[in-house]
Amino acid sequence: MVKKNDPVDVVIVGLGAGGGPAAKVLSEAGYSVVGFDKGPWLRGPEHYSGDELKFQNRSYLWPDVDLMPRTVRRDETTEGRIFNFSPVPSAVGGGTTHMAGWTPRPRPSDFIMHSRHGNLEGASLADWPYRYEHLEPYLTKVEWSYGISGLDGAEVGAGFRSKRYPSGPLGPTKFGEKFYEGCRKLGINAMPLPMSHLTERNELGRKAVNRTSFWNQYGDPTETRSTVATTYIPEALATGNFEVRADSFVKEVVVDRNGKATGVVYIAPDGSEREQEARVVILALGAIESSRLMLMSKSARFPDGLANDSGLVGKNATFHEYLFAVGLFDRELSPALNGFTGNYQSGGSMHFYETDYDRGHIGGGIIATTQIGQPINPILPGKPVWGGAAKDADRDYFLHSMKIGMILQDLPQETNRVDLDPTVKDRWGMPVARITNRPHANDTAMSKWQIDKNVEILEAAGAVRTMPVYLGAEFTGNACHQHGTVRMGTDVTKSVLNEWAQAHSVDNLFVVDGSGFATALGVNPTLTIMAHSWRAADYIANTYLKGRSERLVLDPITATK
Amino acid sequence: MASKSEWEKLDLTIDPDTDEKLFFSDHEWDTIEAAAARIIPTDQDPGAREARVIVFIDRYLSGITYHYATADGSGFLQLAGAEAGAARARTSEFQRMYREGVRALDAEAVRHAAETFVSADEAIQDAVLVMISGSPKPNRVRLDEHEVFYSRLQGNSDTGKSFFDTLALHVRQGFYSDPVYGGNKDQIGWKVIGFPGPKSLKDTVDGTYTTAPFFVQEYDWHDLLLTYDPPHSDN
Repeated sequence: MVKKNDPVDVVIVGLGAGGGPAAKVLSEAGYSVVGFDKGPWLRGPEHYSGDELKFQNRSYLWPDVDLMPRTVRRDETTEGRIFNFSPVPSAVGGGTTHMAGWTPRPRPSDFIMHSRHGNLEGASLADWPYRYEHLEPYLTKVEWSYGISGLDGAEVGAGFRSKRYPSGPLGPTKFGEKFYEGCRKLGINAMPLPMSHLTERNELGRKAVNRTSFWNQYGDPTETRSTVATTYIPEALATGNFEVRADSFVKEVVVDRNGKATGVVYIAPDGSEREQEARVVILALGAIESSRLMLMSKSARFPDGLANDSGLVGKNATFHEYLFAVGLFDRELSPALNGFTGNYQSGGSMHFYETDYDRGHIGGGIIATTQIGQPINPILPGKPVWGGAAKDADRDYFLHSMKIGMILQDLPQETNRVDLDPTVKDRWGMPVARITNRPHANDTAMSKWQIDKNVEILEAAGAVRTMPVYLGAEFTGNACHQHGTVRMGTDVTKSVLNEWAQAHSVDNLFVVDGSGFATALGVNPTLTIMAHSWRAADYIANTYLKGRSERLVLDPITATK
Repeated sequence: MASKSEWEKLDLTIDPDTDEKLFFSDHEWDTIEAAAARIIPTDQDPGAREARVIVFIDRYLSGITYHYATADGSGFLQLAGAEAGAARARTSEFQRMYREGVRALDAEAVRHAAETFVSADEAIQDAVLVMISGSPKPNRVRLDEHEVFYSRLQGNSDTGKSFFDTLALHVRQGFYSDPVYGGNKDQIGWKVIGFPGPKSLKDTVDGTYTTAPFFVQEYDWHDLLLTYDPPHSDN
């Protein structure tokens, strides 16, 4: 017998960037909300530290690949192999607990890729069912509640913003200064990247960010990083309407005979199976796990998975890829660049963001100069692994190298997808997500062009040797970004969700993480996910749960191609 | 309680100078210590031997007690639940791999006319490592070369590797990880490369440790950026 809990208004599955804002908005609106996360609820000073071995090598935060594996393959004909593809911390707070925290805004062009570029062969470009102007108020709300720092007036070509940043940025690192020098020489607009932390003179009255530099892939013991676990979760709890159920794995969304969601079945920390009924079910597990849960939730009404009338659940997955070029400097001639410093990144640019057909590809991605890393795992491609050569490489370049990375905006393709692995099971005995992916020609071309440009910047900054790292034959999921698997759109045959992230065929089901993104953006998705979730939660609180519905009518786009 | 959030703290510390072996036999200890000393050799600067990398590896292989230091570095976390099971399974695989690895090092040394790996001279030890690794001894990184690379997953877990690659990674970890794990004695590894690391993990938890002095101290965004047009009014 499955034990049932008392029904609530709203269930949220996944308490990361997608689930956090929804928890806050709905519980503050007075609804009873239960939030599930399959991971533990870790607390800053008790569980986090600058322990490189623990966080970077022994995967304290990332899912244990033997317990929660994924499989990946290049195409339909190859067998999936177990691989920790696109790992995101399994913990309350999700990816926001470990992320470096780039939180740039998307651009207006991100929402109309199909109108701008038409049908590109091999890609499934689509417009979003809403536009930048519809998200802008929510971007501002997130920047001012979550806590984002940035330098107003530095991003050339930015979309309209209704309010400045609540905090200025951190000052440059030594390698950041080199990056700015290289960009200035080449006529490139650069800027300190908007970040999910605050500095001394912030207008939110919060403590300035820690400066230990143990940052990317680490949890923050000082709790000065803006994360869902330090902002929206405590705010939701403060209402008295919200309950966190950590270490609880949701295995199915239950639907009734009419196809309406009635709640979820989950495995509680004691191993028992339970059911939680709710008026509204919100999925926010990340694009891989949200689509997996939908595919696992088969019923008489939805034999191919929840809300999957279109057959599109899991398809059109985009992952970004983190690519970079490393520059080595001559230690006899150059001062130390201190690549271990900075809260990962120090200086970036959106100069190459908008389409320029002369480059041989459409779209573009944000670039940034980032930490080389701490002593165990510094990034030096092809580094010798033993002997005097290995020791020399560390002595010569640990302090004298830098790197300029990019977020590759991969194009959606129906064949890049998530489905259920036919044989591999997780610790709960459920089929794991299998990822099928291969890059589009545009992805490969963008990688080559932008990384070569990053090499030019390094050379202009004084690097003696450069090492480009391009996109290979497959995505590795190393950006830990996921989108597109439960696509939003207006045509019910070509999308699963509408403009409120609400399922076309299950009106009380909402998917508020990056799953809905029709295209991948050329920036890190977290800020957009949070704003998107807030916008959907506003609709749920003020329209849907009031028994009403609304549609957003978009003006036609005037051609700018 | 099984949840990672409630793993208990074990009041244990590791003495880097210890000779007490928790996993290795005397011979295995000596062999791995000798191999580590070829992977990060002692030259004008200390190497794996002085950093007590062998203690680091022995403790890691001894079970799952020394896998995660507590946040403040005062002890270790007692893994529980499913995570403990998965870690135990991986550890037994490493134990098997190291036992076989030591036998392979000795067997290869014998083929090079030495009695054992430990008793061989450094040139023979290097030749053995070349054979075991399946690749020539690495050359120095040079500034006048050009090579291109393709992307990989960030993160550096030690599973799914050959014995040699596992050993090389563990030696590196033992040389550069926080000293609470038994290696990097007196922060020797950090000093070799100029990393001004924290005095203790505790200093990273309370924010005492800071890298702020290693940032640029004086700067003006107008000088750094090509275009910078700060807003004048509050909007």
